[in-house]
Amino acid sequence: MKLIDDAIRQGQTTLSEYESKQVLASYRIPVTVEELVDNAQDLIKVAAKIGYPIVMKGCSADISHKTEKGLIRVDVRNEEEATSAFKEITAAMDGADKSVLVQQMVKGQRELVVGLTRDPQFGPCVMFGLGGIFTEVLKDITFRVAPLEKRDALEMMQEIKANKILEAVRGMESVDKDMLAEILITVGQIGMENEAIKEIDINPLIINGNKPIAVDALVVLEA
Amino acid sequence: MKQFFSPSSLAVFGVSSAPKNLAKSIVRNCLDMGFKGKIYPVGKNRGTIFDQEIITDPTTLPSDIDLAVILVPSHLVAKTMEICGRKGIRHVIVSTGGFSEFKDEDNQAENDLLKMAKKYQIQFIGPNCIGTINTNSGLCTPFNPLNTNSFKKGKVSIIAQSGGVANQTATYFSEEHIGFSKIISAGNKLDVDELDLIEYLMEDKDTEQIHLYLESIENGKGIINLAKKSPKPIVLFKSNVSRTAAEVAKSHTAALANNDRVVEGALKQAGIIRVRSIHEMTVCAKALRLPPLRGNRLVAISLSGGFSVILGDACESFGFVCPKLPSELIRKVESYRRGGVIRMSNPMDFGDVHSVDVLLETVKQCLALDYIDGIALSFIYSPEMVRMIDVEFSRPGMLLKSIRTISHEEGKPIGLSFFTERVNIEQLKADNSYPVFNDTLESIQALSLLRDYTARKKQGSQQL
Repeated sequence: MKLIDDAIRQGQTTLSEYESKQVLASYRIPVTVEELVDNAQDLIKVAAKIGYPIVMKGCSADISHKTEKGLIRVDVRNEEEATSAFKEITAAMDGADKSVLVQQMVKGQRELVVGLTRDPQFGPCVMFGLGGIFTEVLKDITFRVAPLEKRDALEMMQEIKANKILEAVRGMESVDKDMLAEILITVGQIGMENEAIKEIDINPLIINGNKPIAVDALVVLEA
Repeated sequence: MKQFFSPSSLAVFGVSSAPKNLAKSIVRNCLDMGFKGKIYPVGKNRGTIFDQEIITDPTTLPSDIDLAVILVPSHLVAKTMEICGRKGIRHVIVSTGGFSEFKDEDNQAENDLLKMAKKYQIQFIGPNCIGTINTNSGLCTPFNPLNTNSFKKGKVSIIAQSGGVANQTATYFSEEHIGFSKIISAGNKLDVDELDLIEYLMEDKDTEQIHLYLESIENGKGIINLAKKSPKPIVLFKSNVSRTAAEVAKSHTAALANNDRVVEGALKQAGIIRVRSIHEMTVCAKALRLPPLRGNRLVAISLSGGFSVILGDACESFGFVCPKLPSELIRKVESYRRGGVIRMSNPMDFGDVHSVDVLLETVKQCLALDYIDGIALSFIYSPEMVRMIDVEFSRPGMLLKSIRTISHEEGKPIGLSFFTERVNIEQLKADNSYPVFNDTLESIQALSLLRDYTARKKQGSQQL
């Protein structure tokens, strides 16, 4: 993939959130509607196109833990808020590349994680589990070796302790499991087809209505 | 590969008549176990062991020997391998330790060994292993003295990376009356590895189940692919599971992917049954002797209120449900109560029905229900109690045979356990006509292993 080759040539060890999602999108994994801006004028135009409320994130390849660095603003509701958020984020970023990713704010209370890692014995492996801030705390996750069959993907959903959140609970719709299975299978396929990709995190993968959408993503490259 | 298990002749290198000589035990173990092939003890010094002269000049060995076991110091192993090669021996078990398991750096002795094996096209197991035990041929190559009289023949074969575990499984599987067909300690797996052995056992007519004890999996993909096509169940006790998450990992996924979580997923994909102790290996071996468990709906029957509750808890914790039973069936069983003081439901407390006939009839009818997949029966058994209930069942075998008949007629499993004195449980286990588990919880655990295996195999065959 050209995007990955270019990144490696430029000495990147990870792809930015924006680039990572382009990789996912090229495999038809649903991602947030988003655009990169580097000035206030473009910001207003893009924000209007996407529609408020929006999410804004400082974006470059060398930033992976954006929350800790104060580079994220969620629920930005109008031009005024967007403009001041842009100033704050770019001020907090060091380095020359001060792009801000403007993206749709995906509503959904259920946050999942999907990932890829390479195991020395088993090769590319897909992870699935509870996402967001709970991923590291609860470690409610499960793995399968790629390539995944559909039954593997369905088993993974069944296997996490929090499997009931995929059902119709507390007024929320039951998750589109076929679509979720397709995402898990595809992430395995990305691992099989791209030797240069070492790891992937899609976290969170938010359930919007009943459809999963990749809201944040990180692709780690083989150095 | 057959020569590793049923050789017609065996040479043992490293034998001496010294009291603590280890290679001597190899000869003794084979003789004790009734190995019928010719044994050639080879050593440096002259002497006699078990009425046989030690051969000090290996060039005098005949040229048609099937298998050699080498237990000489590590720097002499390659040289001994060459002697084997020259004598036309193509199968060798290298018991000697002190190779890569002992020192990490470039190991000259190991390289020499490999070179010699290649030169003479010798297939070898080890080094750093105790080789093989075969209850059918009587071959028994461990170098520690074993009580081979206690070994029981069976249909389970076991591959263990560790010699200690290999020996222990021989004892444990025999004591649980499961027995074993072949046990192999694979050691450093320099040549023959677990994949070669699994492949052999998949074809072996004396093996119905393949059990593995591994501390590391080097060729994960290979095991998965092999297991997926194995017609025989594969059971794995994988130890060495402590966290090894790479601290430098950049993504959460890699940091969370400690080897054990990946192994867990991979084994499920392959339909390999994972257990966590040698004891659980035996539980699983018994479970796999039962008819398949095609779902998670059980009838739980006990002879005491307490054990009914314990059964109910165990069923739930292993993901089973105990559906409501038809009221005609309940009423019928209730009509046999003596005091009429216990209400029947599922789990069912048989404490008030003092008849084995009624019990067996109830088991049969429950098992025949189309929405019931199996039964957990936790029953009392003691000669005294049995006298009160039914005289003809004072012999343990009779009850087990009746249970077996019902289970096989319906093609559904009965997870059987007894609450009684240990000596009685041993007697029931020894009868061995139907698997008996050590306690209530274990019987439910066994059913859960069986259920998961059945589900995997069914899905697998649907996909073909």
